[in-house]
Amino acid sequence: MASHSESIIREPLITGDNITYAQITNDVLRPVENMPGRAWWIGFTIASLGASLWVFAVSWTFWYGIGEWGLNKTVGWAWDITGFVWWVGIGHAGTLISAILLLFRQNWRNSINRSAEAMTIFAVICAATYVVSHMGRPWLAYWPLPLPNQFGSIWVNFNSPLVWDVFAISTYFSVSLVFWYTGLLPDLASIRDRATGIRQKIYSVMSFGWTGSVKTWQRFETVCLILAGISTPLVLSVHTIVSMDFATSLEPGWHTTIFPPYFVAGAIFSGFAMVQTLLLVTRKVLGLENYITMFHIEAMNKIILLTGSIVGVAYLTEFFIAYYSGNEYERYTFLNRFIGPYWWAGCMMYGCNVLMTQLMWFKSVRRNIPISWVLSIVVNIGMWFERFVIIVVSLHRDFLPSSWAMFHPTWVDMSVFIGSIGLFFTMFLLFIRVLPSIAMGEVKLILKSTSEQAKKKLLAHGDLDPEQVKYYKDSLVKFDSVEIADYQKV
Amino acid sequence: MDSNKKYWKGLEELDQTTEFVELNKHEFAEPIPIEDVLTGGGLMGKTPRRDFLKALGFGVGAVSLAACQPVPVHKSMPYLIKPEEITPGVANFYVSTYEGQAILVKTREGRPIKVEGNPNDLIGKGGLSARAQASVLDLYDINRLKNPVKNNGDYGWEQLDNFIKDELTAIKAGGKNIRLITSTITSPSTLAVIADFITAFPTAKHINYDAVSYTGIIQGNQNSFGKAVLPHYSFDNADVIVSFGADFLGTWISPVEFIRQYVQTRNNKSLEAKKMSRHIHFETGLSVTGSNADARIPIKPSEEGPALISLYNAISGKTLPGDASLTNNKVAANAIALAAKELVAAKGKALVIAGSNDVATQILVNAINSLLGSYGTTIDLDNPSHQFAGNDSEFTEFVAEMNRGEVDAVFFLDANPVYDYYKSKDVVSGLKKVRLSVSFSDHNDETANICTAVAPNHHYLESWGDDNALEGYYTILQPTINPVYDTRQAEHSLLVWSGSAAKDYYTYVRNNWDQKLLTIGGLTGQKGWETLLQTGFIKAAPKAAGSYSFTYALDSVSQKILDHSKALAAASGSVEFALYQTVALRDGKRANNPWLQELPDPVSKVTWDNYANVSPSDMKKWGYEDGDAVKIEANGYSITIPVLSQPGQAQGTISLAVGYGRTISGPVGDNVGKNTFPLYSLRNGTLQTSGVATLKPTGDNWPLAQTQTHHSIEGRNSIIKEATFKEYVKNPAARSGEEEDHKDYDLFWQKYEHPTYNWVMAIDLNACTGCGACVVACSAENNVPVVGKDEVRRRREMHWIRIDRYYSFDDNGDGGKTEEHEIANLDNFDNVRVVYQPMLCQHCDHAPCETVCPVLATVHSSEGLNHMAYNRCVGTRYCANNCPYKVRRFNWFNYWNDARFENYIQNDHTVLVLNPDVVTRFRGVMEKCSMCIQRIQAGKLKAKIEKRPLKDGDVKVACQQTCPANAIVMGDANDPNSEVSKALKSDRTYYVLEELGTQPGVGYQVKVRNITETEA
Repeated sequence: MASHSESIIREPLITGDNITYAQITNDVLRPVENMPGRAWWIGFTIASLGASLWVFAVSWTFWYGIGEWGLNKTVGWAWDITGFVWWVGIGHAGTLISAILLLFRQNWRNSINRSAEAMTIFAVICAATYVVSHMGRPWLAYWPLPLPNQFGSIWVNFNSPLVWDVFAISTYFSVSLVFWYTGLLPDLASIRDRATGIRQKIYSVMSFGWTGSVKTWQRFETVCLILAGISTPLVLSVHTIVSMDFATSLEPGWHTTIFPPYFVAGAIFSGFAMVQTLLLVTRKVLGLENYITMFHIEAMNKIILLTGSIVGVAYLTEFFIAYYSGNEYERYTFLNRFIGPYWWAGCMMYGCNVLMTQLMWFKSVRRNIPISWVLSIVVNIGMWFERFVIIVVSLHRDFLPSSWAMFHPTWVDMSVFIGSIGLFFTMFLLFIRVLPSIAMGEVKLILKSTSEQAKKKLLAHGDLDPEQVKYYKDSLVKFDSVEIADYQKV
Repeated sequence: MDSNKKYWKGLEELDQTTEFVELNKHEFAEPIPIEDVLTGGGLMGKTPRRDFLKALGFGVGAVSLAACQPVPVHKSMPYLIKPEEITPGVANFYVSTYEGQAILVKTREGRPIKVEGNPNDLIGKGGLSARAQASVLDLYDINRLKNPVKNNGDYGWEQLDNFIKDELTAIKAGGKNIRLITSTITSPSTLAVIADFITAFPTAKHINYDAVSYTGIIQGNQNSFGKAVLPHYSFDNADVIVSFGADFLGTWISPVEFIRQYVQTRNNKSLEAKKMSRHIHFETGLSVTGSNADARIPIKPSEEGPALISLYNAISGKTLPGDASLTNNKVAANAIALAAKELVAAKGKALVIAGSNDVATQILVNAINSLLGSYGTTIDLDNPSHQFAGNDSEFTEFVAEMNRGEVDAVFFLDANPVYDYYKSKDVVSGLKKVRLSVSFSDHNDETANICTAVAPNHHYLESWGDDNALEGYYTILQPTINPVYDTRQAEHSLLVWSGSAAKDYYTYVRNNWDQKLLTIGGLTGQKGWETLLQTGFIKAAPKAAGSYSFTYALDSVSQKILDHSKALAAASGSVEFALYQTVALRDGKRANNPWLQELPDPVSKVTWDNYANVSPSDMKKWGYEDGDAVKIEANGYSITIPVLSQPGQAQGTISLAVGYGRTISGPVGDNVGKNTFPLYSLRNGTLQTSGVATLKPTGDNWPLAQTQTHHSIEGRNSIIKEATFKEYVKNPAARSGEEEDHKDYDLFWQKYEHPTYNWVMAIDLNACTGCGACVVACSAENNVPVVGKDEVRRRREMHWIRIDRYYSFDDNGDGGKTEEHEIANLDNFDNVRVVYQPMLCQHCDHAPCETVCPVLATVHSSEGLNHMAYNRCVGTRYCANNCPYKVRRFNWFNYWNDARFENYIQNDHTVLVLNPDVVTRFRGVMEKCSMCIQRIQAGKLKAKIEKRPLKDGDVKVACQQTCPANAIVMGDANDPNSEVSKALKSDRTYYVLEELGTQPGVGYQVKVRNITETEA
């Protein structure tokens, strides 16, 4: 494990002195094996209050009807589908990190994939609740599934993007869940091995009898690779299909061929921002700074910058095409984002997503933890507004001016949305208490002890390019907390 | 031959083995272990008892669980003895009369569910107003009085009769006055009953009192020609119509008839003959009529008189004083000059009318019409209208009489002066001095509430009677249901109280017809009566038109007009106001009808409210926003009412609707809007609708419930297409886009086959006046729920058909300021042009809604219809989002069973109005226009039973059926000779948003305006 000699220009992925396998296990399992601290309880109380609000607001909607939301004859979707797309988008980072980055052998993903995948699953759960609760008759939510039935030969409409959506989301959810759980097996076994009593029994069942033999590890890695292969197209397909909910319609502002790539980029953009938001706090609170290092933070910020810029290009393309098409409805819809009654939503969308992320061109911004955290939240505010603008601002003024209307959210709209955030955090906070928030097994793969010795040896040898040596030493200063003196000597 | 054959069951029998022989001795070859069961442990074992208890437990549990499910009990009672004429599931139609119009009442299993125009009716030719369509709902109004009332307590009919008879005897002995106050009665039989009553009580007098009266016209004709009549107008004979504030397409005298006449010179047939009338309109607030005019000039109420004087002078060449006073309004002065020129050119085919109730004004109008030769061509004094006979001064005198203590008994029939008389307090104080006051109101209303007794009248659908709205046109009213409540027809009550010999009112009506009326129509006896009950009306030959010369001296008339005008001209700091009626509520008598309350005003699109219309320029000047509550003071009366920015409103004026602000009408109508009747004033013996008021902002904002809040088409020419008459004559297809090359994208799409029928629709934008009758007809036919003011505010009205109304502004004669940003920069909102567009499901052949529904709840039929399967709908609302026409309506709540909507339709009585052929929709389900599929099916079935192919016209959808303008035509496009196929072949036909490729099934015909070059 990482006992190979590494190139001198590879930055250390785990920092700190004397990090051993045991140390990793101890560090990662600290929250799982000890009673939670005050910070956790405060967070959990707030989050579960939010989740209760969600239960209340959704029950209210089910009892009285969708009329309790602010929707009207013109705006048939608003905060519901905005929330749905927002959550599905957030869910994207997890799979991207766990699957695509695995295939590309981006080892730095090992420290963040567990939390990111958990986040994916919780986000998709939040999204799925919207799918059901936005229906007029939620008790018939199973009808869009192609189930054999006794209603005669009634089938679903395979032309409808909503049916594709059902397939896409359910596939995505189940594959993500399996992938995540498979990855958890060795770590669950570690907990099992250290636990006693009832906890041991529970983790024993959950770890599926993991033995840790070489064969088990070998099969584990194979399964992970296969699942990564299966998940990779899903990263692209899910949001592609979500985007088709809009792109296949003829609503100006929706009817756009650029939507699939634009939505996927946006999804990764918002997903990474959410990972950033969560991990910047988690690493601090759980004391995981050595595993989630400045290198990770900067890497994720770079991805946010890249995808944010892709989204920006997509916005420009949309505007250009709206102008170039000569279609008066399309033109009006895009102008309306700035000069219409919802101009502030348009400003939030373009400002947060495009302008603010451009700050990340500056290294000092990318490496500044408070700024990164604020920006990651700004990104998700912007992405929420993006969906709001696409959905509500397109719908509220479409073809026939006689039907133009404004959308005013009610307390139920807001409660369902705020509540879904509470639900998400409730699940996330429970997760970090009962499951290892960092994939221990995988982090141990990139432990630096041996590679570091090799590097030191190389340095001692002295025939390295001095520029590379300097680069490495700089990276140590940047990311690591080791005594640079150790390296200066050689 | 006998057979000796012997059959054996097996080799064992053939061989007769010992084993076989042994076994064959027993009944069963193998022994049955009965003994073992009965004697062994079977019954004694431990398990059976436990099993029994388990089974018992499970059984009881399962049964009680099953019993927890409430099974709704629906009582459906079959006919014990089925009435001969009723087949369950098949509608019966009966002729009857609504406000003088011959109608057909559709009944199902003995209950009226819809009112339709009688196709032979002389007034509407099958067309009916929104109010007539809504009238059936009043029948089932749960707030009607259910029995007689005395001193606000329930009472019995016999006791009431005894009480009133005793009182009347005593009053008769006392010799004081008895007064019968009614709104105009056109029924000959009712008038006969009243005459009988007066014979029995000689001190009695009948006074016609109309809340909105036409005394001015009647008196004007009396003064001009010695005939105190409301003339009958023929707009179809007029090439040039000039109207001064007469809203003849909305509320003036007989709007259904006038719409029918008016469009005859403007519809497709007329246009194809290259003929179109010209309509110039001067008014204060924008009315339906003004919005349809070719030229509309806003004038202040104070400018109306001078304008008429100028017009008279321009036509006659004389100079009445006051000509100069129009100098303040250059536009109006120019328009008057132009109108005069056009009127003179169209002499004999011209018509000038005024909505004013001022006698002097009407005399001047008569003078102008006389000069134009309108009498005998467009105005008929010999076959007049009887629709309004109210006499303002008689009623005013009656109020004075009461207050002087000269009246001992008063009866109110269809009259509610405590609400709608401008000096309500005088009526109340007078009534206190009256010994016996009786109201015949079927509701507890403001007047009934302070009367001694209420003898509730039948609803008209429960009544016998007749009507004579136009001279020589007699219609019959017959009941279509047994009285729903313990009510009695007012005529019957009067007969009883006057001690008449007639057994009941039916006999009385019958005798009246047998003796006087049947012969007019050439009918006699029982047979004649039966014929009448099938045709619904008789028509006498019209009386020959006499010739009328106008000789009245005009000097004093013009002086009176000018005095009036000067009194109106607002001093600075105050505004002139004009009162008007809304198309839906009119005088407010039927304010408790939710269909009418929720019908958007044709022009403002406001529901459930009245408001002060203010010109957008004044809104800017005075710093108001829509909905700002202002305090309006006039005549010592003040109300607080929201303002609405209304383009076309004359600057410096406001318009206020009467008919709102009822306080005792029922839960629907109470406290909706504000009562503006007290703003009336009496001048020269007639009630005047204009005056001077002051406006003060209150700082509150009361949002109005508007169904349309964006008013311009943003230059989107594929939605509305317009042409001027000149352009049209030059090239009929000029603006429909018919001549442009169409790209055909059909290539990509599967084409739907329509092997039998292809139901399509044609809507003529030039015929539609925007009156809204179709909206109510559709609601009645299709059980469209009423949602109430709050829900309309949230933009959730459920109407399947709506009438979109767009404004454009004419700037320097280019006619085309339609975009928001252009309009925002306008200074002058006077030159507003209006277009109405009925919008309903377009039944697209490539329907965007169909492809996106995940569960196939909305699908295409082989007859070109877009179906909606409510039971399959899960309510994702994607279809509505994807509908470019935004015609789909979602059931946000369970409108049929949600306590929050209980004011409206869901009670045991009112649900009886529902059409049993159309299901009500549950919460969470999408709905929309079905092209009245139940009517299509009924038509097809009828044709099938009669073994014939379906004929064009067999199926008429509800909106089409009621349209007084015949603007909507629906039918089979596969039949090249159908009316709709012909209509769609018109050069003016275009399809809304055609370029989207949705292939709509509803074609519209270009709006044509008869605009001349000379006007600025």
